[in-house]
Amino acid sequence: MSNTLGGKNLLRPNSLQCKNLHEYLKSRSSDILNKLYHKPPICLAVFRELPIIAKHYVMRLLFVEQPVPQAVIASWCSKLYFEEHQKVVQVLNDLYVWKEASIPGGLPGWILNNIFKKNLKIVLLGGGKPWTMSNQLETDSKPRDVAFLDSYALERWECVLHYMVGSQQQEGISADAVRILLHAGLMKRDEADGSPIITQAGFQFLLLDTASQVWYFILQYLDTIEARGLDLVECLTFLFQLNFSTLGKDYSTEGMSEGLLTFLQHLREFGLVYQRKRKAGRFYPTRLALNIATGENKPLAKDTDKEGYIVVETNYRVYAYTNSNLQVALLGLFCEMLYRFPNVVVSILTRDSIRQALKSGITASQIVGYLQQHVHSKMIERGPPILPPTIVDQIKLWENERNRFLFSEGVLYSQFLSQTDFEVLRDHALSTGVLIWQSERKRTMVVTKTGHDDVKKFWKRYSKGSS
Amino acid sequence: MGPPKRFKKDNGKYNPCFSTGKWKKRKDEYDKYNDDDSIDSNEADGVPDAAKTDVEKQDECATEDEFGAKDYRLQMILKPDNTSRPLWVAPNGHIFLESFSPVYKHAHDFLIAISEPVCRPEFIHEYKLTAYSLYAAVSVGLQTEDIIEYLKRLSKTSVPDGIIEFIKLCTLSYGKVKLVLKHNKYFIESPFPEVLQKLLKDPVIQECRLRTRITPTEDTDVDDIVTNVQAKSKVPQFGSKAQNTPATSKTNSETESDQMMVESTTIPEDITAFYDKIDKDDEDEEEDQGLKTVSFEVNQEKIEVVQKRCIELEYPLLAEYDFRNDSVNPDINIDLKPSAVLRPYQEKSLRKMFGNGRARSGVIVLPCGAGKSLVGVTACCTVRKRALVLCNSGVSVEQWKQQFKMWSTADDSMICRFTSEAKDKFMGCGILITTYSMITHTQKRSWDAENTMRWLQEQEWGIMVLDEVHTIPAKMFRRVLTIVQSHCKLGLTATLLREDDKIADLNFLIGPKLYEANWLELQKRGFIARVQCAEVWCPMTPEFYREYLGCKMSKKLLLYVMNPNKFRCCQYLIRYHERRGDKTIVFSDNVFALKHYAVKMNKPYIYGPTIQSERIHILQNFKFNTKVNTIFVSKVADTSFDLPEANVLIQISSHGGSRRQEAQRLGRILRAKKGAIAEEYNAFFYTLVSQDTMEMNYSRKRQRFLVNQGYAYKVITKLAGMDEEPDLMYGNREEQGQLLQQVLTASDTDADEERIPNEGPRPIVRKAGTMTSMSGADDAVYYEYKKAPSSSTANKHPLFKKFRT
Repeated sequence: MSNTLGGKNLLRPNSLQCKNLHEYLKSRSSDILNKLYHKPPICLAVFRELPIIAKHYVMRLLFVEQPVPQAVIASWCSKLYFEEHQKVVQVLNDLYVWKEASIPGGLPGWILNNIFKKNLKIVLLGGGKPWTMSNQLETDSKPRDVAFLDSYALERWECVLHYMVGSQQQEGISADAVRILLHAGLMKRDEADGSPIITQAGFQFLLLDTASQVWYFILQYLDTIEARGLDLVECLTFLFQLNFSTLGKDYSTEGMSEGLLTFLQHLREFGLVYQRKRKAGRFYPTRLALNIATGENKPLAKDTDKEGYIVVETNYRVYAYTNSNLQVALLGLFCEMLYRFPNVVVSILTRDSIRQALKSGITASQIVGYLQQHVHSKMIERGPPILPPTIVDQIKLWENERNRFLFSEGVLYSQFLSQTDFEVLRDHALSTGVLIWQSERKRTMVVTKTGHDDVKKFWKRYSKGSS
Repeated sequence: MGPPKRFKKDNGKYNPCFSTGKWKKRKDEYDKYNDDDSIDSNEADGVPDAAKTDVEKQDECATEDEFGAKDYRLQMILKPDNTSRPLWVAPNGHIFLESFSPVYKHAHDFLIAISEPVCRPEFIHEYKLTAYSLYAAVSVGLQTEDIIEYLKRLSKTSVPDGIIEFIKLCTLSYGKVKLVLKHNKYFIESPFPEVLQKLLKDPVIQECRLRTRITPTEDTDVDDIVTNVQAKSKVPQFGSKAQNTPATSKTNSETESDQMMVESTTIPEDITAFYDKIDKDDEDEEEDQGLKTVSFEVNQEKIEVVQKRCIELEYPLLAEYDFRNDSVNPDINIDLKPSAVLRPYQEKSLRKMFGNGRARSGVIVLPCGAGKSLVGVTACCTVRKRALVLCNSGVSVEQWKQQFKMWSTADDSMICRFTSEAKDKFMGCGILITTYSMITHTQKRSWDAENTMRWLQEQEWGIMVLDEVHTIPAKMFRRVLTIVQSHCKLGLTATLLREDDKIADLNFLIGPKLYEANWLELQKRGFIARVQCAEVWCPMTPEFYREYLGCKMSKKLLLYVMNPNKFRCCQYLIRYHERRGDKTIVFSDNVFALKHYAVKMNKPYIYGPTIQSERIHILQNFKFNTKVNTIFVSKVADTSFDLPEANVLIQISSHGGSRRQEAQRLGRILRAKKGAIAEEYNAFFYTLVSQDTMEMNYSRKRQRFLVNQGYAYKVITKLAGMDEEPDLMYGNREEQGQLLQQVLTASDTDADEERIPNEGPRPIVRKAGTMTSMSGADDAVYYEYKKAPSSSTANKHPLFKKFRT
């Protein structure tokens, strides 16, 4: 059953892949990575996201100027955790943080990427050029507090989400943002009138938590950035500078290039930064920007979310205290809607409704995650487990129900002329371990795709020999 | 007969059409899910017209929003202070209640009185207004205006007009006329002379009327109404000696709620103010009017006709018994023992029954193990007239006797058992305990029994307690009612539901539902055990599954019950719990499986043919013998087998999708265990299900009632530790193969579930044979059982009986 993985994908729609920072960087070429590593903020961001063992290695190697034998580095980690060590090595290689170098004497060794090393030192020890985001600024006459920024960020972000579900209650978003949504495959042009409509991937996107949504969106944005005539490296650097800024503090736009200012306007639209006016000369980063790039590893702190509104009962009822079309639409993805009152929606989880969701590529863990994320405070009060465990189990069982078939790709052999022919070939396939299935009565057998060539050759030889 | 006329008019303003096919389909599915709630209006003769109004239909044309939900937003306006009010009322009669609201207690009491609970899990409860529930509300003394007013105040939004209309329709004519039994004669009584006159104008009722004078003329008829003044009365205390304890506990709880009210100032004042008013109304409603009533006598044999006719006239009769002022029937000398302490919910249910100083007839619904017998005993002690207790098996007759001796001052001389095994002397007894089948027995009786029956029929009973009232078929029930004259009837049950929806009949045969307890709440307060429900999935072995797919229906059942994996799971669970020192009952509806499992595992078993003495022997051993920790029982043990020791229940086969059976079985282990901590699970309920068979669907259906009561079923796909367990049976292919052979050779009758006499329709018997044998040539009598309409007695055609005996 060697081809199970390949086969599975035939049936299952692809689920949305949300890359984290490392995955994103890994997929860039080493040239771009080196360019990025010239910027200290990026080095810090990369370093921060490294696994803990990797961080340890980097710190130990930071001031070593020559290659260190691989065996020595391996000895820094207990033999019990060899697997982790392997993984870490892989990560560091992929990110081009270190590279192989042979030590005089022929032993394989590793040495840190020079550019990375230099700039990380700058971040950790100080020095270098000042970051473009200077905070030399007289105090704002109307300072904005954290609460305001949070609500602003969320409001802006929800505009995008509302637009996606097509609810009319919010103002629209810019054509640029729509272009990104289309590019990301979250929406597509309706064949009839060309207006954008949401895709299955879009629904999956909506079920993600806010931080992941923002990061995914930004990644898609970065894909298109070069086409807009902006400099990727510059924008990424700025993004990571934002990442290390302080919430509730204002920063000056002075010294920012024209491209960067455009970029800032885009970020402003999605609520990553706040600016009173386009030409205000100062901006405030919001929580959305601070949490960027952490991807799925670190779920966004609860505080950016609004009060939970979903009550899940042990009898599969789901009540949502909401009147927002966005939230109702999301719930409608995997619940059957029953009643709608002015401030509450009554719905029920059924096998059919869950299967409907699963069919469109939403996973059980996404559903559970969504419910968990927006659970009503009364359910949290009651203490863990927050969601009724039976419901969570059942949703997962419903998902597993769909995965009971194992698919293995193979080649069918049939219409043997004699039983002996069949048996000879079957025994051969069996002995080489490529036989998937056989029926003596029907004289049919299936071998794996990889084994096909071998079996075919064997059959040719055999039939030549016998004739 | 038929469609809700008055409502059609109201619906006129909506667009009278189904919006789309999709909606209709969805609605169907929802109904399927909910089908037990909907009342089958075609069958409901003998219920008032208004009762047939299905408020559910009202919103068929409600607009649907883009997500497929019925959109009520336009029909109601959100109140500004909605957060402090606890409920939403949907135009189709469904009511949603927040259980975490500060006024939950008030709203809950009120909703229990006026509506049926649909589901009561932890946070948001759903209730449903039905004609029956409103009838019940009126009969316990609520007024139309009060119901509407209070509903308006509790609601977060404005109450839809249709609902107000519906409440008015269902309540205005109800509760106006009462059927009273006095001096062994039936009277129809009403405080409203005009209503009575209206009734008397009806020819059917005229016929039923018993005239004391000889042929009075038409016009004197109307004046022939007895007028009398009813004395004021107050609510009795339950158990004069024990009155302190419940009274204090009651005041405690009330002060508690008062405090709560003081603390949370957010409660709108109108709610609390009105609650107090209603609460008081509940008790002394009768006192204000306690006054002139008019009445006329009716012929005893025609009681049913009158009742039915009154229902048709939209004035259903309420049965009430003024036991205080009954000087004709002698008091019996029983009281509650001082040791008998009523729990708050037991007291509350009794207060509903004796609310106005008279005894009302009705049904009290309490979970199994929550002390239904004590409620029954207390009711008898309150009425203090001759009491008749009906239950459905000999074993439970014994158990009722014990209950009487335990809680009340009654001794052996006062309690008379009347069963096929035990017939005590009826002379001088005050309490008679018997079974439904004894009373309705139609064949010849022994001389002894004949005497007792005659005596029983001559008596005017003060109170009749009907245990497990949901189990008896309506026909049998009617027979009981015609044989026995009783002033008031108290039905006790755990689950007021039947798969055939005949529950509606009970409403008018006994009386409305007086009280229904909340399972989850009782569990939280430790009155009943905390049960972990689990569904264990046992994969079918390939050989069994192959046979399963290819065989006919009756064999399928046997195959999935005898699934070797199921056997192994069962064996493992039994061992596991025996090691923990638990007492386990294993249920199997299928006798073949029951015997096989029990014999293989060497455990005692009880089923239909097991004789009474052996049953008691086994049960005693199970109770007291530490060596006997597991017994196997068939469905004879579903109801009324009181096994307080058992705390684990394993179900290996069951009766299709019966929700009632599931609840009853759970009840076997619900009795609160001594010294148990309320936070932990102290009882276990396993259902073993063969994967990928029909059993899975049945199981889902069966669980619905309990799930709606807030129970959660955990699905176990693999029992941890089962692989390590040594020497479980049927581990290898050969043994499994042998088992399969046994199953395949088993006859068709083995595959059937056990039939208990007097329950359910007879099976159709099909005999293979030649034409000659069919025609009776080889002295076989040709006979054929047809599926008779719902009754077993109907099968026995008198003609055939005559020929055969």
